[in-house]
Amino acid sequence: MTVEAPPVPTGRRTSPLIVLVHTVTFRQARSFVPAALGIGAAVGVNGGRWAVVAMVVAVTLVSLGTAALSWWRFGYVDGPRAVVVTRGLLSRSVRTVPNDRIRGVEVEAPALHRVLGLVRVRIDAAAGAVGGKEEELVVDGVRRAEGDRLRGVLLNRQPAAVDDAAPAAAPVEEEFARFDNRWLLYAPLVGSYLVLPLAAVGALFRLADELPDSLTPDLPGPDALDGRVVVTALGAAVVVLVAGAVVGAAVVNWGFRLTRRGGSLLAVRGLITRRHTELEIDRIRGVTLAEGLGMRLVRAARVSALVTGLGDAARRGQLLPLGPREEAVALGRRLVDDPGPLVRHPPAARRRRLVRAVLPGVVVAVAGVVLTATDGWWWLAASGLVLAVLGVPLGRGRYASLGHATGPTSFSVREGWLTREQAVLQRRAVVGWRVRQSFFQRRAGLATVVACVGAGSGGYAAADMAADEVPEFTAAASGRWAQTLAPT
Amino acid sequence: MTTAHVPVREPAWQLSRSAIWLWVTEGFLGALVAGVAATLFTLFVPDEGGPLPVLRWAVPALAGTYAVVAVGVRPFFRYRVHRWEVTGEAVYTLTGWLTRTWTLVPVARIQTVDVTRGVLQQLFGLSSVAVLTASSQGTVRVPHLETAVAERMAEDLARRAEQVRDEAT
Repeated sequence: MTVEAPPVPTGRRTSPLIVLVHTVTFRQARSFVPAALGIGAAVGVNGGRWAVVAMVVAVTLVSLGTAALSWWRFGYVDGPRAVVVTRGLLSRSVRTVPNDRIRGVEVEAPALHRVLGLVRVRIDAAAGAVGGKEEELVVDGVRRAEGDRLRGVLLNRQPAAVDDAAPAAAPVEEEFARFDNRWLLYAPLVGSYLVLPLAAVGALFRLADELPDSLTPDLPGPDALDGRVVVTALGAAVVVLVAGAVVGAAVVNWGFRLTRRGGSLLAVRGLITRRHTELEIDRIRGVTLAEGLGMRLVRAARVSALVTGLGDAARRGQLLPLGPREEAVALGRRLVDDPGPLVRHPPAARRRRLVRAVLPGVVVAVAGVVLTATDGWWWLAASGLVLAVLGVPLGRGRYASLGHATGPTSFSVREGWLTREQAVLQRRAVVGWRVRQSFFQRRAGLATVVACVGAGSGGYAAADMAADEVPEFTAAASGRWAQTLAPT
Repeated sequence: MTTAHVPVREPAWQLSRSAIWLWVTEGFLGALVAGVAATLFTLFVPDEGGPLPVLRWAVPALAGTYAVVAVGVRPFFRYRVHRWEVTGEAVYTLTGWLTRTWTLVPVARIQTVDVTRGVLQQLFGLSSVAVLTASSQGTVRVPHLETAVAERMAEDLARRAEQVRDEAT
């Protein structure tokens, strides 16, 4: 071995069983695959069966070696002030994260880990304005009890800035939400779950492509022109999509449970990979309630928390992955005060939404008319007209989504049609205001107000609000400093 | 254009007048690129059939319009729109020319203050100030201040942010 310095693993180590897991999953060896392929191509593999066996043995040995080496070189300490993780196959890397910068701890147990009683702990450090994957510490392969200990210790030892309602000393458990398996039936109406079976089918096709010809059965090709075949195929596709979406949602969300333990929220979920995510309540600045187009048909919704400095907030901040709207709204209100019913935006906003939705169709139609005259492309004009007509419900739908509200401690903005997202934010969440007014908005007396927030997507907009109401809204939704905006 | 539809008040101070000449220079460079591109287009694109004959005069015309707007109109318009102000509690700017953007950030939520000087800016003795917060969208940018003013502003803001700073998130 060419490593000069003897590795000094400081503090605790992960369980040696993790070597087994990583050997099987090629966790470390994965990075050598391109090189191995290159070597394989250069040497040439033509020895038949024995060469394949030799390859498999060699790859497994390499995988075992790298997995063992990385286990041996890995160490972590959860000190009183900071977490230190030492690692690196050849080069040494020591990362220190002060405890007060830790925003969330996630304990996950993928299938293999569960068989061996191990978990993977992800520690989320404050990302600030930069963000990125580097802001995460991963301790892979500790025993379940140790994982739970780490989670508890890392989050509860921080300088307590606790709600009056939540005494940190006695961690009381209180259930906030529990997944009802009937809610899985919503899944086929949610875009992100519909993608799951599509991805699976895609992977299957790739696999089928790579199979040697001798293994593929020689089926007679179906007659694609036969109507019954087409109908059957479409029906089968729909069934696969629906079933796949439900199964996918079940795998991800099985046994979802959200509880409050002292000053933090704990979310548990997953059928095969079990995840425990812990969020500090004091860092929650707001919640978002998202309803997709299909979800609105059945009054379903999704709730996420906006947590300052949380990386990968879309996944980690989830408080209710899928559920009835009433349930979602009630959950949101437990965390952030309800600012009251939304105020509609002025009629000028509806005109603007309609114009913006219809305009592309009109442009295509006009171009189509010109081309019909010159080249006889009548179909372009026709599709332009159809687009323009479809723009009307789109524009109306987009207008119907718009709204804002202010309450004594919180405020809310809503927009979006494909996914209607309502953000309910605390007053203290606002780190700045951005008011935008385009040339056309100025003529229509409208303006778009963005509340800049150090959590979630960074900004939440009230689009096309009446320009005159802007100073009032910003003053009501944030601190005294926002009066700077008031016209004198 | 009525003033009644302006949503919020204007910040008090204007940029340095040199900003106009910097924008004119930038517009000139942009126009130069557009002109070269349009010339290449007319020289090398064959004129046969389809929409090409139209484009042969449309492209140079567009490039010419762009040049006039970028050099003769936009810099002056921008200068009239751009404003900034530092109050006791907040930093406030107005930027843009056709679409206007007002940005307000309270001093208590400032995380970092950056002063940058680009190559062209150095020719005109100007600097830009960027005030960053925890939100990726809550960044106040004041372009083209005189370097001394920019540095004083950055120093002042950084000092005050440290004094009143709460959690800043």
